[in-house]
Amino acid sequence: MPKDKLKIGIYELTGCAGDALLIVDCEEELVNIFTAASIEAFLMAKSDNRHGELDVALVEGSVSTEKEKEELLDIRKRARVVVAIGGCACVGGPQAAFLDKKEWEKNLKKVYGNIEFSHSRPLQSKPIDAYIKVDCYLPGCPIGKAQFLSTFARMVNGNPPELFRFPVCVECKWHENDCLLNKDILCLGPLTLAGCGSVCPNFNVPCFGCWGPTEEANRTSEYYLLREKGFDTEVIKNRMANYSGTRITEFFEQFRKEKR
Amino acid sequence: MRILKLQKKDLFPLLKVISREAELWAPTAKGDKFAYGRVLDFSRIAMDAVRTIIPPKKIMVPSLFNMFNFTEKGYQEDLSHVTDRILFGIHPCDIHGLLILDKLFSQAYLDPYYLEPRKKTLILGLSCLPDAYCFCKSTHTDIIEEGYDLFFTDLESYFLVWIGSSRGDDLIRLAPDFFDDKLTEKDIQTYTKWQEKRDNAFKTTVNFTRMPDLMELNYKAPFWEEVGAACLACGSCSMVCPTCNCYNVVDKLFLGNKPGKRLRHWDSCTLPEYSEVAGGENFREHKSQRLKLWYTHKLQAYVSKYGKPSCVGCGRCLVTCPVQIHVKSVADALEGHPVEAFWKKFAQEVSK
Repeated sequence: MPKDKLKIGIYELTGCAGDALLIVDCEEELVNIFTAASIEAFLMAKSDNRHGELDVALVEGSVSTEKEKEELLDIRKRARVVVAIGGCACVGGPQAAFLDKKEWEKNLKKVYGNIEFSHSRPLQSKPIDAYIKVDCYLPGCPIGKAQFLSTFARMVNGNPPELFRFPVCVECKWHENDCLLNKDILCLGPLTLAGCGSVCPNFNVPCFGCWGPTEEANRTSEYYLLREKGFDTEVIKNRMANYSGTRITEFFEQFRKEKR
Repeated sequence: MRILKLQKKDLFPLLKVISREAELWAPTAKGDKFAYGRVLDFSRIAMDAVRTIIPPKKIMVPSLFNMFNFTEKGYQEDLSHVTDRILFGIHPCDIHGLLILDKLFSQAYLDPYYLEPRKKTLILGLSCLPDAYCFCKSTHTDIIEEGYDLFFTDLESYFLVWIGSSRGDDLIRLAPDFFDDKLTEKDIQTYTKWQEKRDNAFKTTVNFTRMPDLMELNYKAPFWEEVGAACLACGSCSMVCPTCNCYNVVDKLFLGNKPGKRLRHWDSCTLPEYSEVAGGENFREHKSQRLKLWYTHKLQAYVSKYGKPSCVGCGRCLVTCPVQIHVKSVADALEGHPVEAFWKKFAQEVSK
């Protein structure tokens, strides 16, 4: 264990604040969280926030304003390790899904009209790794308590986080569930990061992909498979886009190229 | 070896007597499939279960379990999954699967986490009739000569019960009155007819004697790229395979001075991180390379070491892979036969 307590900061950018809320909701472990590390900044939980050097910064949310971008660049400068927590920070969240730049500008105008932004200039929403180097990704919408606590415990003991990188299907088979995809149900298990304990398929509910995509998510193959099972193109695309953030944009671009 | 006769009506009373000795585990219904589980109510035993979703390896090495608790002072082994068990209803293919795991887990380093529960588990096999996906006749694992304590062959109104070990004999001695050791000519005829019926019931065949050479000859065959492109890298083929035994070990830490846990969980060589080394280099970056490894192990490498494939023909990969990459479709591709599988259609579709 490191001699001095790690200095940890918890930050929220654009998102529902669900990940920070989940940390606060770890009630029986809160005392342990606050004693195992020195929590330098955590806006949702405390008022005396310090903005100095950090060992670890946990960052929730996507970047959607110029001000957030500056804040993020500042966090990166101050922190030895940056951990993206939750779907918005990891992949951009629903607000970053599947919009090209022109479409986004059109939508911005449609919603806000021709106004001068006084507070901070809006940016097209992006995951934090669009601007800074991210050392670790803690996925989930929101993140899971068990995975957060074990990641946190490893960090304060000086160990790097060790997260599952394989898809939900592996955990689903550990639970001996019958494959829902094989029953012609639109399940995103093969594309989605494990760590949730396959909680939905354990109750016969298909995976909706809320822990975001795996590195190797084979959307093309699953897309054709679902098409063969009779699902509508738009239904498949929308389901895949929900929690994939900007990762799905790459897929659709590649998909368009393949179609040509 | 002795063969005895047991009337069907006497099966549950027999199980009642012997299950006083150890936990009784058997296949039970799970949705429209089957799963091994501990059985207290014998009517829940699925006598017609062709295959369970996960093979009985899960009883010996659970999918995820704690190997030991540790603190800064030392460690304390956790063998809580080790208990006396009687495994009833296990078919010949799965018994062969365990015999293969026995070899793999007792090489240079004996693996107590597998071997201890294995030693404490009595194997009570049960005969079966193949469905469309079974191909254990091709792997010669349709019959069993070793690896069981008792084996029950279901002949409609009665069982013929093979005694395969002294421990099996001990079980018989707990309730000798249920058994009849006088077999008639008619019993032998009934058994022979049943064997013929079973032999003729197989729909799926794979020529395994050709596979080692065909794997070598097809090492650079283009179809590996096709299976790689369609593979969802979901790892299910390994999870459901009775002979896949790879695992990963991770330390789970807790806050508040609680001991840590060294967890062990099933892994698969088809997953990208399996062949990744320090520094992020990956020896098998592409799925096609990983699948080739999987099939090399099943169809070629194990043959050169032990003289037979490490596939037992249980058909689980056939019913599990969502994109139909399995021993049958890959064997067809290796033989240059037409392949009817999603991965082949997918290859044709994307190349359009």
